Amino acid sequence: MSAVVSPDMSTDEAIRCERITKHYGSRTVLRRVNLEVTRGTVLGLIGRNGAGKTTLIRTLLGLEQADEGRAFVFGEPSLSLSDATKQRIGYVPQQPDAFDWMRIGDMLEFVGRQYPQWDGEFVDLSLSRWQISADRRLASLSPGERQRVALIRALAVNPNLLVLDEPASALDPVARRDLLQEIVARAAESGTTIFFSTHIVSDLERIASRIVFLHDHRIVVDAALDDLSETHARLTMPSEPTGVAARPIPGEISRRRHSDGSVTLVIARAPGSDWPEAAAAPGVHLDALHLEDLFIEVAR
Amino acid sequence: MKADRLTILPGATEPIYRQIGSQLRRLIASGQLPPGEELPSVRDVAIQHAVNPMTVSRAYCQLEAEGLLTRLRGKGMVVARGAHAVVSPEQRLARLQSQLADIARQARELDIPARLVVQRLKSLLEDSE
Repeated sequence: MSAVVSPDMSTDEAIRCERITKHYGSRTVLRRVNLEVTRGTVLGLIGRNGAGKTTLIRTLLGLEQADEGRAFVFGEPSLSLSDATKQRIGYVPQQPDAFDWMRIGDMLEFVGRQYPQWDGEFVDLSLSRWQISADRRLASLSPGERQRVALIRALAVNPNLLVLDEPASALDPVARRDLLQEIVARAAESGTTIFFSTHIVSDLERIASRIVFLHDHRIVVDAALDDLSETHARLTMPSEPTGVAARPIPGEISRRRHSDGSVTLVIARAPGSDWPEAAAAPGVHLDALHLEDLFIEVAR
Repeated sequence: MKADRLTILPGATEPIYRQIGSQLRRLIASGQLPPGEELPSVRDVAIQHAVNPMTVSRAYCQLEAEGLLTRLRGKGMVVARGAHAVVSPEQRLARLQSQLADIARQARELDIPARLVVQRLKSLLEDSE
C-alpha cells in the first residue's frame, strides 16, 4: 500500500468556482456562477428540478467540463485533481448505477482496496444497521437501498469533502433521519465539509450552515442559514398610487405582480443593515420569510 | 439536562439557534435548570436533533454572553451561578405577553369567542403535563 500524500490542507478553502458557464446545445444550464466554500461548511444547495444543481456539482468535481470559468477543490483545478485529493472526496450521485453486476460485499471490498483510509468496520456496521445483506447484487436493490449503499461507500472513505446529490430522494423518513444524524456527526467530529443538494427544505433547515439557491441558472440567494430570517423578507405592496413598486428596490431578488395590481417582492439586506426605504412606505407590508416561503416565492 | 428535552421545529420563522436559546432562557427562568446544571454537549444536541453543530454552539455562546451559562473546564456548559430563577409566576408570565397578545389579536381576527380560546389553551397546557 502506498503512502497517502495529504492534499493541501493549509488552505481554508474546500471548493471554489469562478464564472462557471455551461450550455447543453443551445440551452444554458449555468450562467457565470461564482462560489467559495470554506472548510467545515455544511452547504445546502436548493433549486427546482432543472435549475442546474447536478451540473454545478459535477462541474465542481471535474466530472464535467465548463464552457467557461474554472473550478477548484482544495486548491487544485477540478479537471486535474491529484489522486490524493480524489481520495479525500466522497461523492454520491443522484442515481448511483456503477458496478451493477457485482455483489454489494465484493463491490465495497474492491472500492475499499483503493483507499488506504477505508473504514471496513463502519461498512459492516452500516450494512447491518440498514439491514442490507452483502451477498445481494447491486442490480437487485431498490432505489432506496441503492442510495444507502452509495452513502456507505462514500462515508467509509472518511472524506474531507462529502458531496451528496439529492441524497435523501429515495430514502424513507427513518433512513433520512439516520443520514442527517450521520452528516451532523461528521461535521461535528471531523470538521468534514459537506455539500448537498436537496429540495427537502426542512432537512436543509436542520443541518445546513449556509444555503445557496440556484434559480434561472444563477445563484440568487447565498446566505448563512441562521441569519436568513433577518436578511431576507417579503414585501407586499398595494397597487398604485404609492408608486414605490415602479422602480427596482435595492436588494430585490424576485417580484411577482398579482391580478389586482399589487406586487410581492423578496428582498435581501446585509446582516445588520436597514431595509430599503420602500419597506416603510404607506401601505407596504414587510414580513419575515422562512426558507420554504423564500423558495416558493422566488422559484414561482 | 438531556438533549431530548429541547424541541426544535424546522420550518418556523424563528431560526433554530434562537429556538434553542429561548427555550433554555425559559427553563432557567423557571428554575427547572438550576445553577450548576450541566447542559448537553454541542455534539449531543446536534446529533440528537440532526441540526448543525454551529447552530447549537451559537445559541450556547449567546447565553454565555448574557451571563446565563458558564463554560467549565472539562465539564462543558453549565447554568451560571448568578442565573437565578424568576421568582413569581406573574414575572414569568410577562415573558409570554407578546405571544399571548398575538394570539388574542388573531383570535379576534378569526372572530373566535374568548371562551373557546381559553378552553383550547387550557387543554394544551394540561396535555403536556
